[in-house]
Amino acid sequence: MEPTIPEFGRFAEPSLLILVSLSDGPKHGYAIMTDVEQATGRPLGPGTLYAALARLEERGLIEALPPEDRRRPYRLTAVGAANLTEQLHGLSAFARHGLKQLGVTEP
Amino acid sequence: MRTLLIRCYPAAWRERYGDEFASILDERPLGPFDVADILLGALDARLRLRDRRAGVTQRKGFIMSLRIGGIAAILGAVSLATAWFLGSGFFAVNDTFAGFLLLLGLGLLLVAVAGLTAFQARIDPALSWAAFALLAIGTIVAMVAFVGAAVLGGDGYWNLGMLGLLTAIFGTLLFAIVTYQTAALSRGAALLLAAGAVIPFVGMVTSQAILIVPALICFLLGWFILGIQAIRLDRPATDASPA
Repeated sequence: MEPTIPEFGRFAEPSLLILVSLSDGPKHGYAIMTDVEQATGRPLGPGTLYAALARLEERGLIEALPPEDRRRPYRLTAVGAANLTEQLHGLSAFARHGLKQLGVTEP
Repeated sequence: MRTLLIRCYPAAWRERYGDEFASILDERPLGPFDVADILLGALDARLRLRDRRAGVTQRKGFIMSLRIGGIAAILGAVSLATAWFLGSGFFAVNDTFAGFLLLLGLGLLLVAVAGLTAFQARIDPALSWAAFALLAIGTIVAMVAFVGAAVLGGDGYWNLGMLGLLTAIFGTLLFAIVTYQTAALSRGAALLLAAGAVIPFVGMVTSQAILIVPALICFLLGWFILGIQAIRLDRPATDASPA
């Protein structure tokens, strides 16, 4: 599969966080922001959030659901789930490699 | 404040995301970090929109250059072949008209090479430029010879004209080689074109004038196939009409 996220430049990391946030079900923009902020302890600005959402939607990794009032939920597509799985596997392998080089044994 | 920040985004973006974005801004107190983040987001949206428009324009320009190149290739080859037939002595036509057709053909082939080297120039720019430069030099030399012969007269200009023509043909050979190497367009047509460019030199060395006939056929067919292919390149591979 084509590695889509690295092409997002500075929006690659927020995009990955958004995909992880949507992995347990659809969420609207504000819920994604608070979810990401709780998970990482770092703020996710609205401008960054929507720049990443637009890219993810354009690549078909997420899709918008019908709006509820003024909020519009987004959900992960099958392509998005496969992409997220691949990225997380890659990060996991990278982390194992780094820990091994540091001589740190995994718990 | 919120309305002003949303207005910083392009209209197309606001139409798609404006409502939900406004809803988020209403739910969250805005600090300096958020304002800076929104302004950067608006800049990003505008740059992305501009890039997308530029991409469409670039694609249109690319298709147009292929079409112009394709048409010029066909007309140029026909012009050159006609010039040769008219100048061969079989027809009662004055040399000036044949010379004019020759120059027209060379000029059109110059346009063709410029239009059809979009793919090749990305892979082998040096050879693409060499092909274009030789064709351009050959055309200019032939033009000088043509004007000189028309204004001053004399046989010396005929030799100069032949030198220009052979230089242009050598440029065509380089174009055929770079097209074959990069497989940007039909390799078969590139081979025909190469044969059409090489055979006249063989004919000159071996003093077999008859070789000009297969050379002309290869030359014409090569340019014709490349031209048709370039014109049809942007068409969909399958018929989009409903069954």
